[in-house]
Amino acid sequence: MTKSLSHLLRRAALVGTALVALSVAAVAPFDADAQPRRGGTATYAYISGPGTLDPHVASSMVELEVIHHLFETLVAMDEKYNTRPSLASNATASPDAKTFTFTLRKGVKFHNGKEMTSADVLASFERYKKVSPNASVLADVESFEAPDPYTFVVKLKSPNAVFIDVLKSPVYPFAILPADQKDKAAREVDIVGTGPFTLGEWVKDSHLVIKRFDNYVADESMPGPDGLAGRKTAYLDQVRYNFVPEANARVAALQSGGADVINDIPVALAKRFEGRSDLTTLSIFPYCMQVYVVNTQQGATRNPLVRQAILATVNAEEIIGAMNAVAKPSHSLVYASSPYYQGDAMKPYYDQKNPKKAKELLKQAGYNGEKITLQTNSNYPNMKDAILVLSELMKEAGMNVSVDVVDWTTNASNMQRGTGTWNVSTTSFCSNPLLGPQQWRVMFYTFPQVKDDAVLDAAYAQFYGSLDLSKRVAAWAEIEKRVIEQAYMIKIADTGALRAFNNKKIENFTPYYLVRFWNVSAK
Amino acid sequence: MLRIVVIRLIQAIPVLLLIAVMAFILMHLIPGDPAVVIAGADAGPAAVERIRHELGLDRPILEQLLNWLVNLGTGDFGRSLVLNQTVLSAVGERLPVTMSLAMLSLAITLPIGVFLGILAAYFRGSWIDAAVMTLALVGVSVPAFWIGILSVILFSVTLGWFPSAGYAPLLADGPGAWLSSLIQPAFILSLFQIGFLARMTRSGMLDVLDQDFIRTARAKGVSEWRTVGRHAFRNALVGVVTVAGIILSLLIGGSVVIEQVFALPGIGRLVVQAILARDYPLIQGTMLLFGFAFVVINICVDLIYLWVDPRVRYD
Repeated sequence: MTKSLSHLLRRAALVGTALVALSVAAVAPFDADAQPRRGGTATYAYISGPGTLDPHVASSMVELEVIHHLFETLVAMDEKYNTRPSLASNATASPDAKTFTFTLRKGVKFHNGKEMTSADVLASFERYKKVSPNASVLADVESFEAPDPYTFVVKLKSPNAVFIDVLKSPVYPFAILPADQKDKAAREVDIVGTGPFTLGEWVKDSHLVIKRFDNYVADESMPGPDGLAGRKTAYLDQVRYNFVPEANARVAALQSGGADVINDIPVALAKRFEGRSDLTTLSIFPYCMQVYVVNTQQGATRNPLVRQAILATVNAEEIIGAMNAVAKPSHSLVYASSPYYQGDAMKPYYDQKNPKKAKELLKQAGYNGEKITLQTNSNYPNMKDAILVLSELMKEAGMNVSVDVVDWTTNASNMQRGTGTWNVSTTSFCSNPLLGPQQWRVMFYTFPQVKDDAVLDAAYAQFYGSLDLSKRVAAWAEIEKRVIEQAYMIKIADTGALRAFNNKKIENFTPYYLVRFWNVSAK
Repeated sequence: MLRIVVIRLIQAIPVLLLIAVMAFILMHLIPGDPAVVIAGADAGPAAVERIRHELGLDRPILEQLLNWLVNLGTGDFGRSLVLNQTVLSAVGERLPVTMSLAMLSLAITLPIGVFLGILAAYFRGSWIDAAVMTLALVGVSVPAFWIGILSVILFSVTLGWFPSAGYAPLLADGPGAWLSSLIQPAFILSLFQIGFLARMTRSGMLDVLDQDFIRTARAKGVSEWRTVGRHAFRNALVGVVTVAGIILSLLIGGSVVIEQVFALPGIGRLVVQAILARDYPLIQGTMLLFGFAFVVINICVDLIYLWVDPRVRYD
């Protein structure tokens, strides 16, 4: 083992100690019979401000957390990330999976006081198709129809068995806006939705306030909130999001009473809450997955055998230990609660820690010491550490490795566009493993720069065309196997997030992928 | 005096043009694509390309540069790619925060730095001199972000004297809240500059205190206070004014780190976010405005020279 790897492992041991010391409180489930107090303000120290609140173009977590309080979608993720009606009371697919009919809830009001009807839904979908970076998922739409004020119909040119699931995406939400926003350009919509909160003051880079929408019409068919759906009730008068980029300042804000809730807490800083019974730390799982992305169009890693050699070197325990993050080993690209979960099928490919096998694969590949560049960034220490440990593991297996550290924007652009001269990099995917195969699709092709993979293409065609869930599960098995076996992506771990709140000031703050303030009340 | 200002402003035009071109070239040399940032990680290649096209990023670099310069000539600094507002309005919204921070820091730096410098020079070689110079060395050496974090733990968390982060606008929240939100970052921002100014003042004063006219003043029986404060310091003041101009520039530049640590919505934080997002028009526009601010500061320093030292002439 090299000196640098030993150093990283020592750090890992320290992080492990910190994790053991960390108090992660159990959170009581939502109690529908409790009578929370109406009123008060919750202050949330938030890592940064949203760039836009236009739901159709928003993809960053900081934007989505605000947006889902202001806007709603026809269907949404429930507590277990499955699909549940939200603004629609019912969603049905035709037997050929080409026609989808949504029955809308009656009496739902926009923040401007007007009732939401199918005309608004139709206009929103038409706008989405024009402006959203995710518009490709509507490319196959033959028509949108609004036969009556409470019915919306989507007709597709070809079958898509998961179309309704696609619409629950929390990223680039298919939010319903008033029809008069139809022709508004990207990032220029009026912030008028149907959510339980309305937009108050927004001072860029400083803070943003959302206020309770007193005319909010909740989904009465449910006893309480359920993920991003269900019966949502706003008790707080307002929520103030303070944008505090520095983690130390966020932690200090919670300690000193300047914030009631904080997010993105580094593991080491969470120790500062020890001995404070008024502060509760939440460990959020599932949250994201961290993977290595292997460039299939660059130098040595064009060869699948070289990619498989890299896969064989991975020692998950050492990598996770060095990452200074809340992380759990896992071999799957979806979570165990997903219907697509394949059990232990992918386990043999994960955490192989087999440099001998890697050497054999390199020999078969005719690898002759060509340089393999691992690119990472200085913004996210967990990514940098994961790459540094991998570089040592690859060197042990006889690979000629260089590490290139750039800033996150360069790193992300290179992965997404295939620019730069990198062979391996790493990133986290969050909504994709939660939502499953359809949400992974673009990532599987784009990040590793996969081109002309007939096996993957065929498996996805089977996935979208199969009305029978068991056939879709079988198709996903093919897809996941192909991605992992070809080492397009190499799974590292499921990564979580640390949040904390002041339990003497607010209650019913429950853990979920996105921070939610409906049904949260002030004490 | 007006003539001097006009001449200096005209002389600044080529400097600003150079800054504009350099800012443009440097930003476009850095890899990374604003279209990827705007589209988001979940966007496919077609969506990214569409955004590149809409923003004009697929046009030749020279064409983009010329368009920007032509627009600049008409006073149009362009539109931020990310913020959905013009560069001037984005900067204008944040200018009061950065100027408040810089001016408060300057107000802390000048009296303390000058006083410590004079003290060290007057008691040269003594323990006072050693103590002041050690303090100055610490101030210059310790990173602002580190001292900022320690300060927050002590003054915000433990003592609860000041808020840990955020800005309270003067007009909306009143002078008490405004000062409370700024005093901690302003003092930390001043630490480096106090050390710098104390060392420069000491050096200037040492030169002057050895001059014949100081000895003459003392021989005439002029009081020590008057000798040091009026005769010696007045002659060291030209150096202090020069350093004060540099310090104001450094305070504006130094706000980048402090605004990040204390979550102040100023220009420093705007620039950091613009760089991370590769928001070309915003970075270029802000660099140009920074450049213009430095030119104005230099003109002010030149004018103060005239008042401080009547021998100075700009013919």
